[in-house]
Amino acid sequence: MSQSSTRTVDVRGPRAAAWVTSAVLAVVLLTASGWLAAAQAAVFAVGAAAGLRYAPYAVLYRTLLAPRLGPVREREPEAPVRFAQLVGFVFAAVGAAGYLLGAPVLGAVATGLALVAALLNAATGFCLGCELYLTVRRVVPARTA
Amino acid sequence: MSGTGLAVLAAALVLTGAAAWWLRARDGAVRAPARQEEDGVRGPAAVLGDLGVRPGEADLTVVQFSTAFCGPCRTTRARLQHLQATRPGLAYVHVDAESHLDAVRELDVRRTPTLFYLDRGGAVLGRSSGAPRPEELTTLVDAHTGPRA
Repeated sequence: MSQSSTRTVDVRGPRAAAWVTSAVLAVVLLTASGWLAAAQAAVFAVGAAAGLRYAPYAVLYRTLLAPRLGPVREREPEAPVRFAQLVGFVFAAVGAAGYLLGAPVLGAVATGLALVAALLNAATGFCLGCELYLTVRRVVPARTA
Repeated sequence: MSGTGLAVLAAALVLTGAAAWWLRARDGAVRAPARQEEDGVRGPAAVLGDLGVRPGEADLTVVQFSTAFCGPCRTTRARLQHLQATRPGLAYVHVDAESHLDAVRELDVRRTPTLFYLDRGGAVLGRSSGAPRPEELTTLVDAHTGPRA
């Protein structure tokens, strides 16, 4: 963890990934596809659990987009982005469960909330999950300390 | 094509636009502190004092609450450290919010970064949430610390 907390990524990577995520979530809403929502949840899970080096959209960015762009001008720490993947995973997983278990309205609302967070991140760089992390920690008792 | 999905998609787009507009207006905007000293209730200055903040040592003391999962916190921190290097009247205190959750609750810090601005007399001039815009931060610091060295 000490190593991953200091690891950095090209800031353009997560933004590009957020656009792809937004597009996928929009298609989920239009098609009401629980399996596509589940696939997006899996993408989030890989990013959160294994890190952005293995996150599917980050890999796409590095292999397809980054070589065509100029040199990296700004890097950011990986930890906040990885935490955001975890938040995204929770919403996408609830969305997928809603669609697949016969509660399409729940599926649509959860997917819609994930879309708001992804789109906000893509368009403005704002990370909703990161900023609300403290709000959650205030009410959830500390595991350590 | 899902009707519900289409409605939720439209709502999500509107909500994103509204949130982006709100954040743009609010991020880094300095507000009056929510609570001042009252009878029996500790004000923000007392809570910050417990964290080791000594406003008497500088014209302007900026206290920043951050978490590890906060990208803008690092940018804001670097900016303030840079300002501190060139303006002797500015003191900067960085607080890891997670290690001081009691203070976080008492001060009602909800987002990170949250900044508190104190004058030499220990009065809280204001607070702001979200990363301040660089030029606004510089203007605010310069207004309270006098000309730069």
